[in-house]
Amino acid sequence: MDSTQIEREAADWLAKRDGGDWNEADAAGFAAWQNQSTAHRIAVIRIQTIWQKADRLQALGAGVPRGQIPPRGSWRLSPFLDRGLRSPLGPSSTDEAQPADENAVGSTAPVREARVKTLASSIRSLRVWAAVLVLGLGAAGAWYLFDYGSNAYRSAIGGIKVLSLSDGSTVTLNTNTTIHVVLSAAERRIELDRGEAFFEVAKDPLRPFIVSAAGKRIVAVGTKFSVFREAQDTRVVVTEGAVKVEELRGGVAAGPATELAAGSIAQAGSAGVLVKRGSVAEAEAYMSWRSGYISLRDTELAVAVAEFNRYNKKQLVIADPAITNLKIGGNLRAANVEAFVRVLEEGFPVRADDQGDRIVLSGKDSQH
Amino acid sequence: MTDTTEQWFAREILVHEHVLTRYLLRVWPNRDEVPDLRQDVYVRVFESAHHNRPLLPKAFLFATARHLMTDRLRRGRVIFIGTRGDLDELNVLVDELSPEHRATNIQELQRLAKAFDELPTQCRTVMWLRKVEHLSQKEAAAKLGVQEKAIEKQVSRGMRLLTTALLARTDATGLNEASGRSEGESEHG
Repeated sequence: MDSTQIEREAADWLAKRDGGDWNEADAAGFAAWQNQSTAHRIAVIRIQTIWQKADRLQALGAGVPRGQIPPRGSWRLSPFLDRGLRSPLGPSSTDEAQPADENAVGSTAPVREARVKTLASSIRSLRVWAAVLVLGLGAAGAWYLFDYGSNAYRSAIGGIKVLSLSDGSTVTLNTNTTIHVVLSAAERRIELDRGEAFFEVAKDPLRPFIVSAAGKRIVAVGTKFSVFREAQDTRVVVTEGAVKVEELRGGVAAGPATELAAGSIAQAGSAGVLVKRGSVAEAEAYMSWRSGYISLRDTELAVAVAEFNRYNKKQLVIADPAITNLKIGGNLRAANVEAFVRVLEEGFPVRADDQGDRIVLSGKDSQH
Repeated sequence: MTDTTEQWFAREILVHEHVLTRYLLRVWPNRDEVPDLRQDVYVRVFESAHHNRPLLPKAFLFATARHLMTDRLRRGRVIFIGTRGDLDELNVLVDELSPEHRATNIQELQRLAKAFDELPTQCRTVMWLRKVEHLSQKEAAAKLGVQEKAIEKQVSRGMRLLTTALLARTDATGLNEASGRSEGESEHG
């Protein structure tokens, strides 16, 4: 079995499927090819895994004008990049082997931002260069000093952003999200102002990790969970460990805390907290956005549309109440609203009218 | 959402591909055979996991690699010469990677950017249009003034090059380690 040849064939199939003219015969051919041997299937898994990961290239494009492809090495010009990994002055190291707790107390920088090239970071990098000019060799320190106090982080529509906190925790921001971070010796505090974030909390029993959103406080010690804020409602999904949800009134806990174990999906509103206890796998389905996907399971079209609209400037509008309850399922690229619409049109009695800044969906046999 | 063997494999096994590849390159006398060898290891792991998922995926992966090489030796299909290929050397210490491994997110993006930059120019351009600007292959073809088929070809090529660069982290031939490994690797001998 020549692995190079198999890999080539697998890539050819996947590239063909990635293109426009994929039909049923192709799908059948591809399935048959995969069934020929496990080696074929594995070649597909390998490439698909990376192809999905490559969606993160999107992060490089933030702030770059459309139609412009930055030259090689552009990402490296920014002074953060290398420092991001190996600054001797940094409050912590991103080295996975090294927990950073002892460095965090009293460090000058609460947060180090991942290598995501956004407009904001470009602006900040100008400030960094200014700092370099003033302070000469103290570039790294200068950056950290500069960053101190400016602890708001946001992601653009359709963007995903990964932040490494100096305590060793990682925060992944979903589309259109803003958070504030304050790390102190007593606690780690995150305010979720808008959007959704996934938290991988480094264990530190002495400093609770607290996320507040819409009058709710979510307290963790070492765990993985996501928080999605939509106006006054908050959804908390736990995939590892456990967290506590409390209601806040005037900044203090009001009423008893709700404990959420791994696999829990909690919806917290002004009326209280509703918890669904499911499997961890089920909870993880809520995290599919981290790889750029929207995961739908028997989801009503109206809900799916709302979900897509979070990720895209081009908004979907349902003009026909008859189709709002259509149930759909599957995994779809969040950024590819056109593909979603195409699938809808092909598989369901739905007609789409692309009006430039929005796509209006209606039933196939309705007139409008 | 149930976890299929495919998902499990991508999550638990493929993350170790670079370590596995380096290991095979170190102990297997014929470097040209390493990609095929790796494939055979994967086939065994996948088929076995299909019936019964191993509790320690990484340990299982390396044990499978060791068994496979031993089998091949016994069947006399391979002759080891010299010290390379000493089967005792196959006993790497398997440090189970912690699930906290996602902390390497920054490195991942950095690696991705690097692999992207190392693509041939035309391929790099197509990847950008497809992955960053989200053009379809058809739109990319129109934009670059080429046939759709040419775009498809570049996509296929890009898929393969990125897979090699990011999973095996070897150079384009799949045989030599890519230069400039910068981050702390997780293998301990």
